[in-house]
Amino acid sequence: MACIELIKKLSNAFGPSGCEREIAQMIKKEISDIAPDAYIDRMGNLIALMRFGDISASNRARIMISAHMDEVGFMINEVKEGGLLGFDTIGGISESVLAGRRVLIHGKNGFVDGIIASKAIHHKDKNERKKAVAVDKLYIDIGAVDADEARAYVEVGDFASFSSEFYEFGDGYIKGKALDDRIGCASLIEVMRSLYANAPSESIDVFCCFTVREEISLSGAKTAAFALRPDVAIVLESTAVADIAGVDASRRVADTAKGVAVSVMDRSTIYDKELIRLALDVAEAEGVKAQLKRYVSGGNDAGSIHKVCDGVRTLALSVPTRYLHSASCVAHIDDVCSQARLCELIVRNICEV
Amino acid sequence: MQLKDLIFELCAVPSVSGFEKRGTQRLLEILGDKLEFVAVDGVGNHIFRKCCGRQNAPKIMLDAHFDEIGMIVTDITEAGFLRVAPLGGIDAAIMQAADVIIYGKEPIRGVVCSTPPHLREDDELPEITALMIDTGLSKERASEIISIGSPVGFAPVYAELLGQRLVGKSFDDKACAACALFALINAPTSSLAGDVYVLLSCTEETSRLGGVTAGAFSLSPDYAMVIDVNLARVPDTKSFETVVLGKGPSISVSAATDVPLTRATQRLCEKKGIAHQMIAAPSSTGTNATSVNLTREGIPVVDIGLPLAYMHTYNELIDLNDCNTLCALISEFICSGEIAEQMRCLEG
Repeated sequence: MACIELIKKLSNAFGPSGCEREIAQMIKKEISDIAPDAYIDRMGNLIALMRFGDISASNRARIMISAHMDEVGFMINEVKEGGLLGFDTIGGISESVLAGRRVLIHGKNGFVDGIIASKAIHHKDKNERKKAVAVDKLYIDIGAVDADEARAYVEVGDFASFSSEFYEFGDGYIKGKALDDRIGCASLIEVMRSLYANAPSESIDVFCCFTVREEISLSGAKTAAFALRPDVAIVLESTAVADIAGVDASRRVADTAKGVAVSVMDRSTIYDKELIRLALDVAEAEGVKAQLKRYVSGGNDAGSIHKVCDGVRTLALSVPTRYLHSASCVAHIDDVCSQARLCELIVRNICEV
Repeated sequence: MQLKDLIFELCAVPSVSGFEKRGTQRLLEILGDKLEFVAVDGVGNHIFRKCCGRQNAPKIMLDAHFDEIGMIVTDITEAGFLRVAPLGGIDAAIMQAADVIIYGKEPIRGVVCSTPPHLREDDELPEITALMIDTGLSKERASEIISIGSPVGFAPVYAELLGQRLVGKSFDDKACAACALFALINAPTSSLAGDVYVLLSCTEETSRLGGVTAGAFSLSPDYAMVIDVNLARVPDTKSFETVVLGKGPSISVSAATDVPLTRATQRLCEKKGIAHQMIAAPSSTGTNATSVNLTREGIPVVDIGLPLAYMHTYNELIDLNDCNTLCALISEFICSGEIAEQMRCLEG
């Protein structure tokens, strides 16, 4: 599966919210053969327009497909006396997945390795051993012996991300730090390739948007949607699921390896019913594995896109992802393929709605 | 071979406590042509040596435990998720979504399940025995590779930070093992004060008395040095029970070890200008030293520590400068005729 290599490359790259430039350049290069006119807008979104059918037609449908480039991360907020660094999180990261993890800081002269740490278990009392360590009790150790040495490499306001191996494991699973939402980015690239290779005959403009700052406020998608005024938007995401042992089916949200998840409602959006119907019908007709997201949780770029201007009919197609917003997100590669395939098919059938 | 490379290679050898023999082959690949391999004994101790070539030379033992903390599979549940129990003191705070390797018929990757926030009932961390490991395999497929009792370790990923500080898993205590081996590999035979044995002891993390007692009993050294990591000072710890990274190895003064040998080692460092830190460990060192001391008729032992921060995590941190100094200390110790003489007089 060629797409695993692409996901690996994208997931390993550095791109916490506000620092998506490296990802944007990587994707721009990746799609340069099929979208040479792709551009980066003033917010940092990478946008590629693909036009199909009769270019002069007046009633051309405008479709926006978005996948966000940013990942959750950290910002250095203090250089402490002993050379340790205080930090805060960018995006929603549970305290329970922080202690002990490797991070990469984009320092003033380049990347600096560090670890998120606190005192060892030997120094914790009974109560401390039961709780996750609070962010303000954790720090990043880069090996500096004092504040002066630390300041030579890092300053307050520097961004950081998890640093963790990407690997394939089990039967078709992948694990990486930024599957949310580089798998969506990889899917969108796949969609672009498929549409390019086999152009739809309908008169449609497809705006492929690789957005910024989803993890903090769904920002990039908001301004991009305003600029592009789409009729319809499809959000390619990864969604947190708990299809793990001991969790009831009703609370799992969705299951990995059972297809792309179609959202009905989450904490920021009620999705367009006709688009949901189209997605499920097309999936069934074409044999693409799909499932409904079964729990009202999470949110994504749809939350801002559907409210832009006079409203945008919006659909979200998500890859069920375990341990989201940790250094070890886990997803099934077949679900990524289903996501890309279903998105492509919806574009081809969009004139039905 | 550089010391740093030896540390990284040795620390990546799989040796979850109680399963040290899984590392034998790799250990011999790394060390086989550098030191004489004596044996791997019944319990899982690995023994290497270099002899001085003189008759009736004293027998000196360097002990560093070779096991690492980990887990053991207790159940293979639905959809190939594993239940585990801890082998050694594992901090629940680092377990959510941690990367692990399960050593079944072949090593396979896994990730510790992390409960998403929408399903958390309180902010208490699950105990290790309540954790599940995601193998990405069906129960049937998992059962082909893994069985109840398979060991589980953290994934080895090593890096060098600023100031030659190293991070990765299992520096406790294989970084010390690497220093002992490195010192012995590089010590000329003629300079040795006796026949020197490196005991890479097993099961320190789980049953301290098991491994080292058997090893020390069978080797029956005239005197010994136990080398283990020592908790480094970080925020929210007490200065008198921690050591400082970068200031050299620690020497513990303890009623549970041999005080004359301890002081002799301290004087040796002072004389040779080897950086070291003294630490008071009144009635216990928390290391193998006490067990060695109480083996057979009693074995004089000195307890040496390598400063290490974030102990028992997969990103323990040590200072390569401390490792170099530790090697120098060990070299002087095994080559010290003065200490050998002092220990001989003791016997007489």
